[in-house]
Amino acid sequence: MDEHLQEDWLDARLRDEAPYIDDAGFTARVIQNLPTRRFRFFREAILLCMTLLASAVTYTVSDGAHFLVAAVNRLASMPLLFICLVAICCTTLITAIAAGAAFSKARGESLG
Amino acid sequence: MPLNDADLVARILVDDDHHAFAELVRNHQSTVRGLLRQLVRHDVTLADDLAQETFLRAYKNIRSFRGEAKFSTWLYRIAYNCFREEARKRKELVGIDETQLETQADPHTVDPALKHDLMHALQLLPLHERSAILLCCQNGLSHDEAARVLDIPLGTVKTNVLRGREKLKKTLAEWGPA
Repeated sequence: MDEHLQEDWLDARLRDEAPYIDDAGFTARVIQNLPTRRFRFFREAILLCMTLLASAVTYTVSDGAHFLVAAVNRLASMPLLFICLVAICCTTLITAIAAGAAFSKARGESLG
Repeated sequence: MPLNDADLVARILVDDDHHAFAELVRNHQSTVRGLLRQLVRHDVTLADDLAQETFLRAYKNIRSFRGEAKFSTWLYRIAYNCFREEARKRKELVGIDETQLETQADPHTVDPALKHDLMHALQLLPLHERSAILLCCQNGLSHDEAARVLDIPLGTVKTNVLRGREKLKKTLAEWGPA
């Protein structure tokens, strides 16, 4: 028998003779032993605490968020048309980004 | 439509989805358990314990799977590491090593009823050749992938596959026409 044919035959037999092992509760046992999800919630709680802490520090350091009041006052003194134009631009930009993200996600799912 | 491995991994990463992980386990349990059974010479209980450990480690380290290799190749590497750690532990505890196991499996002392069994012939190979044959010939990994799983140079994998094949052919020929 040709050397390559013999190798193919050997590989084919090795593949054929490997039996399919029935799950027989194996997957259930693995899932039962998976670590609990509390660590994930713990991580989320840490993120929330850090955000609140950062907000509190910013509020204190910026003298009671005085810069926000100043910005609102400055905006209020601007012409109404200009404010409307800024609002329309912001809305268009956010809508475009959201539509792009939704389209990209839908495309990814259809390829999967 | 069933999801592929990459989609299932993505679901685990994003939502910590246990159902997606269960699907991955179901898809790969047979090959991983089969590989480990061959490596531990058909000690089914030990092989299944190692397979369980393999999947638990895969779950805990799923973030380190970057998708550069196939998910099955990544799993085989974890399984092989579990097996190596267990073998090292056994060697330390009971003093059993691969050389002893090899001498127990002499082709001239095997049960005649098993003589035409290719899988039994596979058990007579030394571990390094058996692992290479199992990964490349039985599970269809490339030499490069097997080198990554076994953490040895590519040339060594090729040599081990070649020698393993030669020994298998010789053993089967000694046992009579297959």
